[in-house]
Amino acid sequence: MGIEAGTVMLGIIGPEVVLVVAALGLMVADIIIKDERERQFLVWIGVAGILGSLAVSASLWGREVAYGFYGMVVVDNFSTFFTLLFLVAGGLTLLMSHRYVQERKLSPGEYYTLTLFATCGMVLMGKSTDLIMIFLGLEVLSVSLYVLVGYVRGSDKGVEASLKYFLLGAFSSGFLLYGIALLYGATGSTRLAEIGAAIAQKGLLGEPMLLAGMGLLLTGFGFKIAMVPFHMWAPDVYEGAPSPITGFMSVGVKAAAFAALLRVFAGSLPGLGIQWKEVLWLGSILTMTLGNVTALMQTNIKRMLAYSSIAHAGYILIGVVAGGETGTTAVLYYLLVYTLMNLGAFAVVVAIEQKDEKRLELLDYAGMGTRHPALGAAMAVFMFSLAGIPPLSGFMGKFYIFSAAVKEGYLGLTIIGVLNSLVSVYYYLRVTVMMFMKEPEAEITPVLFHPSLVVVLIIALFFTLQMGLFPSTYLHIARESIKIFL
Amino acid sequence: MGLVEIGIVLIKAVVVFACMLLCVAYLTWLERKVLGHMQVRCGPLRVGWHGLLQPIADGIKLLFKEDIVVSSANTFIYILSPMIVTGAAFAAIAVVPFGDQIEILGKKIALNIADVDIGVLYIFALSSLSVYGITLAGWSSNSKYALLGGLRSAAQMISYELPMGLSIIGVLMLSGSLRPVDIVESQDVWYIVKQPIGFLIFLICGFAECNRNPFDLPEAENELVAGFHVEYSSMKFALFFMAEYAHMIVLSALVATLFLGGWRGPVLPGVVWFMLKVFALLFFFVWVRATYPRFRYDQLMKFGWKVLFPVSLLNILVTGLGMVLWG
Amino acid sequence: MGIAGYTGILIMVAVAAAFGGVVVLLSRLIGKRQESREKLMPYECGIDPTGNARRRFSIKFYITAMLFIIFDIEAVFLYPWAVVYRSLKIFGFIEMVVFVGILLIGFLYVWKKGALEWGSKSI
Repeated sequence: MGIEAGTVMLGIIGPEVVLVVAALGLMVADIIIKDERERQFLVWIGVAGILGSLAVSASLWGREVAYGFYGMVVVDNFSTFFTLLFLVAGGLTLLMSHRYVQERKLSPGEYYTLTLFATCGMVLMGKSTDLIMIFLGLEVLSVSLYVLVGYVRGSDKGVEASLKYFLLGAFSSGFLLYGIALLYGATGSTRLAEIGAAIAQKGLLGEPMLLAGMGLLLTGFGFKIAMVPFHMWAPDVYEGAPSPITGFMSVGVKAAAFAALLRVFAGSLPGLGIQWKEVLWLGSILTMTLGNVTALMQTNIKRMLAYSSIAHAGYILIGVVAGGETGTTAVLYYLLVYTLMNLGAFAVVVAIEQKDEKRLELLDYAGMGTRHPALGAAMAVFMFSLAGIPPLSGFMGKFYIFSAAVKEGYLGLTIIGVLNSLVSVYYYLRVTVMMFMKEPEAEITPVLFHPSLVVVLIIALFFTLQMGLFPSTYLHIARESIKIFL
Repeated sequence: MGLVEIGIVLIKAVVVFACMLLCVAYLTWLERKVLGHMQVRCGPLRVGWHGLLQPIADGIKLLFKEDIVVSSANTFIYILSPMIVTGAAFAAIAVVPFGDQIEILGKKIALNIADVDIGVLYIFALSSLSVYGITLAGWSSNSKYALLGGLRSAAQMISYELPMGLSIIGVLMLSGSLRPVDIVESQDVWYIVKQPIGFLIFLICGFAECNRNPFDLPEAENELVAGFHVEYSSMKFALFFMAEYAHMIVLSALVATLFLGGWRGPVLPGVVWFMLKVFALLFFFVWVRATYPRFRYDQLMKFGWKVLFPVSLLNILVTGLGMVLWG
Repeated sequence: MGIAGYTGILIMVAVAAAFGGVVVLLSRLIGKRQESREKLMPYECGIDPTGNARRRFSIKFYITAMLFIIFDIEAVFLYPWAVVYRSLKIFGFIEMVVFVGILLIGFLYVWKKGALEWGSKSI
């Protein structure tokens, strides 16, 4: 028996351990505390877990590359970067949800526990160097989210969204798993490194089984990224899910799937990455064009943001296609930027939304800016940033992505990308115009600010501005993260 | 594996199967007799000496009975399910060793049909197969009583399968093997001594798995009028009946193998010791039936999930700790 | 014994299945049959059955089945662990305490939330 504690190395999954312990503690606290009002404090256990996990994962930054669990997971700067990103997203989601859960009398225990587990799944996905592990991470994250999406049980849209997400998600998991099986069949391993070695050694690149496996794998990831043509679920699910969860999904799931995609295509199997470039190229164009054009016609703010998130997946794919050091760095930077600005936008949505899915139409935003100038200004910043207007971080993100694409010779792709961002300006600006320049038809009930939500808004606002004005630190971090791929 | 070996295995299988059938038949006689005397009656007396031919008469009668397939039933599953139950119950005996190796005509013959490394798992796999048979029987009859009986038995059997599976982990830890022969050979001291809690849980769960008193809710004759097999007649009914008794025999054999040292014992030959243990346990089955009333359904589920399950986990913990501390 | 041991199992299963099939077939052939509409009805206390037995039943059965799946998987993981426990020593013990502990918290949660109640307290 060669199993020793040393080969397992708990330190490598330290952040996950902290998250899981916090989640389990939350569950226990949930059944111990009987009083409904006292249970609202459970969110702080979750936040504490996230903070603890942040501390642990920050301490992993810059260390030597270390493999654990017989090479199933790895700690390198790439995984630590994504761990931090997911934890920030998870933490902000928890804070955003605090009032949301309280107001709707949702049972808080499961909500926060599942959010923590979903975060844990994302972290695992960013860390895994084995296809089975990627699948496990994806399932942990997906199963938690299936429940969270339908968490408001009385809401028709919520239940519909949950069922849709579950069915399509299960379907896409099937694709992914089948892809893994075929890859295993073609190369004899599920380890990314061994797959790469087998391909190089035996010259399998054109092998039909490998091609099919890779295609299925890409389909599985495509579902999670909401890449066209696998984006159908996104608008309905984003609309039906509780707003904080929608925000979480739009940034977290996407980033997790991109992390895995990068690890597979850019990191371990660069040969395959080149082979699949055309597909991703086409996917990128379709995704951003369809996302932006459809977003133009939306009247519901959550649906609009759903299509906008599809469009953003398209922009990020440009970076993946461009590849190389600049391209991959730009992808990481963009994901970071997108996480904060999109969560910020969702924080505003959560602030304005009222019980029973009220005040989610664009028309409801009329006059919000004049009644609540601070909120309006924050929303304006997030919208401008999403649209990519300088000097905000969204602009810098797009700038780096496009310049990487130009550098790698994808001029056509860049032009389409720029045109697309021009289109997107229309619908992002419309929100701001609505908030400041249109008078409401009836008197609006004022927005109640909850301290946790204000914290989220401030954090998101700060970073959206800071990352735009002083991007070099973050670019440096992103560049450090992808060093192992070069 | 040559033809000779296959021939030997085939002979063994047929012999064991015939013995099982005989045991099943006379177990019904034994049960009626023992129950009768415990209730100050005589039990069967008319057919043969002390009713000894009663089981044969019953069998012949059932064979000649009208075979009814309920018109609204799902015919294929309706006919298939008694076969699943019987097949699973009888096939499970295949891996149980009845005795040590013996020599016939200079050939060493192991007294089990199949000697596989995962024998214990095989028995568990087959015993959970019979859940399908019973549930499908209840469902396919398209009768409300049958459906209720089928559902109850599904829930009951899976609920008790859990602690049952966990209760033998202690034995496996001590013996370090899933092979029944190894487990028997490692018992210099019977495992009932080292694993008393595991033994108790296993026995209790065994009663529930066989749908025997006090866990006979799936058939509960006075509320569900025989539950899942209410719509069955003739030999199809007999198959369910035989399966229940075969299940009891398999279970007793398993208890004897895992906890009571299998065929091992002084003076007498192994097979005799094994039979003695099995029949003592079978007598115990009947004794319990004569003694205890039936559980209420919520009590039954509560007992399984809230008592047996945690206790069986605790048993594993204590066993593990003990092995770490005392080697 | 390797794979050879499974021949016995195959034969035994075949014998048992054949027995079931033959017996049912025999009773079908031997038993006399006089069918009537009433005789072929499902039993319902001697009156004509009302409605169909294919109806919805208590959600508790589903919950029980799901809980069984979860904890049975736990048991399945325990089997190989138990067999090699001697060589795993204290490390194996701690690993399993962690594994079972996590599931036990889940069990506690299920218990306190009332998923195991079947009487009036049930959810």
